[in-house]
Amino acid sequence: MIPSLAWKNIWRSKRRSFVVIGAIIVGVWALIFIFAFYNSFIEAFSRNAVNHEYSHIQVHHPDYLQEPGLEFRLTAEEALAETLAALPEISSWSGRQIVNGMIASPKTNMGVQIYGVRPQDEMRTTGLKEQLTQGTYFENVSRNPILISQQLADKLKVKEKSKVVLTLQNLDREITAAAFRVEGIFKSKSPRVNESVVYVRLDDLQRLTGVTALNEVAIYLHQSEQIVQVKDSIASQTDDLVRSYREIAPEFDMMEQQSATTKQILTVIIMLALLFGIVNTMLMAVLERTREIGMLRSIGMHKRSVFSMIILETCFMSVIAGPIGLLLGYLTNAWLGTRGMDLSSYATALDEYGMDTVFYPSISGSTYPVLMIVVIATAFLGAIYPAIKAIQLNPLEAIRKL
Amino acid sequence: MSVIEANHVSKIYNPDTIPVHAINDVTLSIDEGEFTAIVGPSGCGKTTLLNLIGGLDTVSEGQITVSGVNIARLKESDLTDFRLKNIGFVFQSYNLIPVLTAKENVEFVMLLQRSHQAAMDDRADELLAKMGISEVKDRRPAELSGGQQQRVAVARALASKPKFILADEPTANLDSHSTASLLDIMARMNEEEKATFIFSTHDQRVIDKARRIITLEDGKIISDVRK
Repeated sequence: MIPSLAWKNIWRSKRRSFVVIGAIIVGVWALIFIFAFYNSFIEAFSRNAVNHEYSHIQVHHPDYLQEPGLEFRLTAEEALAETLAALPEISSWSGRQIVNGMIASPKTNMGVQIYGVRPQDEMRTTGLKEQLTQGTYFENVSRNPILISQQLADKLKVKEKSKVVLTLQNLDREITAAAFRVEGIFKSKSPRVNESVVYVRLDDLQRLTGVTALNEVAIYLHQSEQIVQVKDSIASQTDDLVRSYREIAPEFDMMEQQSATTKQILTVIIMLALLFGIVNTMLMAVLERTREIGMLRSIGMHKRSVFSMIILETCFMSVIAGPIGLLLGYLTNAWLGTRGMDLSSYATALDEYGMDTVFYPSISGSTYPVLMIVVIATAFLGAIYPAIKAIQLNPLEAIRKL
Repeated sequence: MSVIEANHVSKIYNPDTIPVHAINDVTLSIDEGEFTAIVGPSGCGKTTLLNLIGGLDTVSEGQITVSGVNIARLKESDLTDFRLKNIGFVFQSYNLIPVLTAKENVEFVMLLQRSHQAAMDDRADELLAKMGISEVKDRRPAELSGGQQQRVAVARALASKPKFILADEPTANLDSHSTASLLDIMARMNEEEKATFIFSTHDQRVIDKARRIITLEDGKIISDVRK
């Protein structure tokens, strides 16, 4: 009886009910959209970092982190290669020798990280070739080719085919240098790579350093969900340090935590706005029905029934509005998730963070029921005060108003 | 057999500031099946007396017993139950539930009493037929005339077969034709349903129809006449 009466009461003032329902729909839709946009932002950031900088897993000498350099090389390179070859989850891997050095052009010089790579392995692992904007990929320059970023090229004031000189310390800590010719200019999605990394062939770098071993292996998997499993497999067969990209770059976790916090704050703000809207509307509804509620009490309706009636009226509205808001949010995300959200107008700022300009909003399926519960809980909380006001009405007031 | 006993009942408003004796030492007894009008000028305490009898207000002095139960001693929720089971109310402004149909309004008190649906249907149909408004049973109050609404209100008051019905100025908003019709119906219900009616009124047509007239003045009973 109470649910039936509550349901009918919702429709006695359609305009007011539609305002509340509309507010809930917009609030839920906005939350779904914002959540999905945030997810796409983080997903794009992670994807670019993994695809073009860190890969899924990296292997280093255990002491490499304390002092990155030539002293701490991989301990058992061949065994590691065999291990990696035996793991079907691995899509590709790239062995690197990384040293710090200076790059000099006729105009200026600056510090860089010199990555000695096997071109084919690096291409498969980080897609370096696809990032070229000018020139070729270790194909046309036979002696000491080098790939540099557009950013570095601008700073050094060099272009394709220009000569640059790399200076570095070899294993004996002696300064050594060699001239390289710019074969290609790339634009990475990683701001760090753009700023300070140059790529040369591993053989060329090994000749300069006098070290044939690698000090980093980057591994790219077919599926990112297999990171932990593959990492454990590799770690069980080597004494070297095996880390996932999240361990290498803690900013991913920080971003996710920050995103989760931001989402919670947004949820609270939107739900608070809804809460006050619901309190206001329901209070109005109760005050308009003072006489009726007094009559109900006087003919024998218990306070708990009156309380339930007001609570149910509000919850019904949230149950109507919540799924509509969720559906609209889902449809919006489905559409934008396929078509993409083009933020080209913010390209410069996004580029600074190594982000693409097109985002694909997505949201986990578990978010929908959670949001529905949050909306119903908000409606319930919003109805409590008006419901209390309703039960505080003296039935005699109704009689006196006759 | 007496349904209501009021012994030396007084109701004093603002006892600590400017005391107003709305009801002053009233003693009366109302028997089952009576058709009683409480009359008197405005402000004489008619409505207050009905409120006290209906358990909607509390006495300052004295006691009211309904079927032997001292209603002042009941807790609020027990008093609500007591009203639900024992008292029917008819209000001057009808006070029907606007979102329910005429029949649903009649059934409402039975719903509160958790009666069976079939029993509610039968009782509501029976009462609406007796009231002569079966044809409008599916209409909402806004679609009914004032007279029809008040008949629905009387049917609602009778629905749960209460011990007595309190009607506060039930004809005040009705035209003469509707008033006459409603009075006939209530008189018939008094006989057919053995329902005890207590009206507060200053409508001469109601007074003429009543079989007992209690006259109040300044909160006191100045006459109690049985026809």
